[in-house]
Amino acid sequence: MIAVLAYIVMALSGAMVVWGLVTAALDKPPGRAQLLFAAGVEVVTVVQSVVAFVILAQGFRPVELATTIGYLIGIVMLIPVAWFWANVERTRFSGVVLAVAGLAVAVMTLRLLQLWIPAG
Amino acid sequence: MNDQSAQARSTRSGPGKVLVAVYGVFALAACARAGVQIATRFSEAPVAYLLSAFAGVIYVVATIMLARGTRTSRKVATVAILIELMGVLTVGTLSVLDPEAFPRATVWSIYGIGYGFVPLLLPILGLWWLWATRTRAA
Repeated sequence: MIAVLAYIVMALSGAMVVWGLVTAALDKPPGRAQLLFAAGVEVVTVVQSVVAFVILAQGFRPVELATTIGYLIGIVMLIPVAWFWANVERTRFSGVVLAVAGLAVAVMTLRLLQLWIPAG
Repeated sequence: MNDQSAQARSTRSGPGKVLVAVYGVFALAACARAGVQIATRFSEAPVAYLLSAFAGVIYVVATIMLARGTRTSRKVATVAILIELMGVLTVGTLSVLDPEAFPRATVWSIYGIGYGFVPLLLPILGLWWLWATRTRAA
């Protein structure tokens, strides 16, 4: 985990939450730009997981190795599934679905940062 | 979903879409957590970790059944969510009375405190939603 990258992921996924709630409040389904933005957040999230796995491969061992690996894999699944689910039936609630995924990605990134402490 | 009225009141539509999404997040969280616990330190607290896995399965069933939104899946979802409610209340209460038995080991410990008490809220919302989308005939 690189702290700066984690903060970027949290900022971007946080923006995804706000954007999703705004379009829901305006009673609009997510627009094209919003969906592209979600895809962009996913790309950065994947980059974060790949970077973390490279650091793990180089020998870094966090306290909770198994939990960390679980988070690194789980976190990249959220936005693609939410994207699919949001597009099944496009309503204002599609934006809330994207917001839920964004929130989960932000929270999981925060947990990853907290877990990224070298094992004694 | 041939019945038009059933489709309009499907558990997957409207706000139900969000409910399915939140259930999905918890399905992932509970299953991943149980997987890690069982794979790495099962002997430490087998009961708690099996409960974690059970919670995961319940969330998966509830997610899929709410997402399907058919007549049969509504029934399965109702049963799953009732089990979920009993689970969070039972494990929550036990973990308060006897913290040693459930050291923050499941999503339901202390009524889901590790997840902002969403695990306690979710079954109540789920049952309310199933009730709100019920068909008149049923």
